[in-house]
Amino acid sequence: MMKTKILVIEDNEDNLRILRDLLTSAGYEVIEAGTGQAGVTAAETEDPALILMDIQLPDIDGYETTRRIKADPARQAIPVIAVTSYALSGDDVKAFEAGCDAYVTKPFSPRELLAKIREYLP
Amino acid sequence: MTDAHSPITAQKTRSVSRRFSYAFIGILTLILIAFAAVGTVFNIMMIEGELETRLDNVMQLARTSLPAPLNNLDKDMVNTFVETLFLDTSIVYARISRQDQIIAEKIRAGFELKALETSLQPTWFLGAQFIVESSDIQFAENNVGKIQVVVSGERAKKQVLFQIYGIAALIVLIIGAIWIFEARTGQLSQSVEEQKALVEISRVVSSSLNVEAVLTGIVRHAVQLSKTDAGTIYEFDEAEQVFVPLTNYGVDAAFIEALRKSAHGVGDDTVIGRAVIKKAPEQIPDLENVPDYPLPFIKEAGFRAMLAVPLMREDRLFGGLVVRRKEAGWFSKPVEKLLQTFATQSAVALHNAQLFREIKEKSRELEIANKHKSQFLANMSHELRTPLNAILGYTELILDNIYGEVPEKIQDVLERLEKNGRHLLGLINDVLDLSKIEAGQLTLAVNDYSMGEVVQTVITSVEALAAEKKLELKSSVPRDLKVARGDEQRIAQVLLNLLGNAIKFTDRGEVRVEVTVSDETFLVSVADTGPGIPEADQEIIFEEFKQADGSSTREKGGSGLGLSIVKKIVKMHGGRIWVESEPGKGSTFRFTLPVRVDRQRDE
Repeated sequence: MMKTKILVIEDNEDNLRILRDLLTSAGYEVIEAGTGQAGVTAAETEDPALILMDIQLPDIDGYETTRRIKADPARQAIPVIAVTSYALSGDDVKAFEAGCDAYVTKPFSPRELLAKIREYLP
Repeated sequence: MTDAHSPITAQKTRSVSRRFSYAFIGILTLILIAFAAVGTVFNIMMIEGELETRLDNVMQLARTSLPAPLNNLDKDMVNTFVETLFLDTSIVYARISRQDQIIAEKIRAGFELKALETSLQPTWFLGAQFIVESSDIQFAENNVGKIQVVVSGERAKKQVLFQIYGIAALIVLIIGAIWIFEARTGQLSQSVEEQKALVEISRVVSSSLNVEAVLTGIVRHAVQLSKTDAGTIYEFDEAEQVFVPLTNYGVDAAFIEALRKSAHGVGDDTVIGRAVIKKAPEQIPDLENVPDYPLPFIKEAGFRAMLAVPLMREDRLFGGLVVRRKEAGWFSKPVEKLLQTFATQSAVALHNAQLFREIKEKSRELEIANKHKSQFLANMSHELRTPLNAILGYTELILDNIYGEVPEKIQDVLERLEKNGRHLLGLINDVLDLSKIEAGQLTLAVNDYSMGEVVQTVITSVEALAAEKKLELKSSVPRDLKVARGDEQRIAQVLLNLLGNAIKFTDRGEVRVEVTVSDETFLVSVADTGPGIPEADQEIIFEEFKQADGSSTREKGGSGLGLSIVKKIVKMHGGRIWVESEPGKGSTFRFTLPVRVDRQRDE
């Protein structure tokens, strides 16, 4: 049986590894992208079942990346969970405006994040 | 008769008898004997009676015209005195003067004065006229003036010259007395005016930081009360070492511009330049006598006399006050004193303004520094959290056996690692929250919310904690609460903090949340059965880094920032928070919150 693909767009190596270890052990296939642009490309080529979107990215930010992904009618249905920074209030609103389906705030607990992901994936 | 031609020395009133020449006394004695022989005692009696009446008249006049300012006396009163003097037909000329200024003067029709204009000095005449002159009458170091009366010897022929002289001298004395009396009352009313002005000025000086308005008031009062025509307050520019005209009264724009351009300084031969060197008032009684005065436009504008007072305070020069008069003449001591008082007030105003400018500058710097500090803290705590997230994330993954089965011994250590890590994260978050509030970066995300749901969410998240300590967790929220408006997340943060504290500090019993609503305001209370808070600490626990008791900080942990953040969030919503507690009887934290908050309140 094919594993469910989750695209993780995240530039921080530790966060990336934590997410990779968490999701892999939970039985998902993890596709990684370190920049917003790479994320947009990976969303097209890999056709993931869910996207974890970091907001602070080195090139285009997570909102814009989400907007670009959701602009493609074929990708519109892919749930995007934004990982927003605790520091900036109003990020949740911006995330929804950009088309994100849910958000978790940093620092996230891997357990809670997994629970959130499972709300969207069978 | 030879007596009419007898030389009579004009006398200073203070020394009438002393100055009588022996020759005159000799002649006088002869005349007295001669007249006594023909029975002029009657005349003497008559004149005395007349004198008494005249005295009454003069006193009456003085009384009815009080309290007239000095200037009215100068003109109207003095003229009346002169008229009164002229009731005596032997008086043909009277003059009342101050310094070289004639205040009142009258000559009887048909008479001519002989050499009086050129000689004001006591002198004697061989003609039919005698001059009687008082010395300068002083009052309160002020020259009130003097009187000169010319008596016609011809008209007085039938009377005793001694009597005429005596009457004139007496009148001079009386007028002198009236002068003094009048001057005193005039000064009194003047000083009432001055007091009023000074009270007003000191009120303005102490209440207003608008230095220009204050100084404008001062210069106006100074000019009006000193009965001059114009005035200027200069500020001393320490960098350029010149006097800069700050406010003016009674001069036009061209004059002010000329003053500004003249840029005179300390020690220049201007009236203010000299006053500053002297550290005392300086006068120029007549600019006509100072042909090379450095600021020629002053004379061109019609000013003759000037008085300058330096503005000093604690031996520091702030500027100068100058008044100008179109009439030449000296300024009196009281005027000098008055201006010195105004100068003191002006110096205070200028000093205040300078201090205010410095304070404003300092507080602006402070504000910037504070913003930087808050910004630094916000950045710093954000930076601190990134690695901490990783530590906590890995720990959790290890604990969840993602990297393989963890031996029990290590598991215990990892749990402690995670607990401490979470505590550290909590501290960093608090610092971040607070610094964001301080830096004005924390804005409320106002949305509709349900208070019932907020309470339920918070209770759910602390249930485990309460269960761990075997505490009962109760809540009471009305079912039919209206939809509220505010920052749901922040309100939950407040409640979570209060509940967390209550559970943390309570070892047995219960923690209870209650929400009531009245007047469109929620009243939320969190009550515990913990140790309670002494009254002395009930205010300070809302301050930063303060807990009720140092020992519990170590025992219970916490940054000491939680309640101060809570208080700020409640305030931003327009609410109020307080605690009711008694040691040993538990604590109840209560806060109010408008049901609908549409706008963030600044602190």
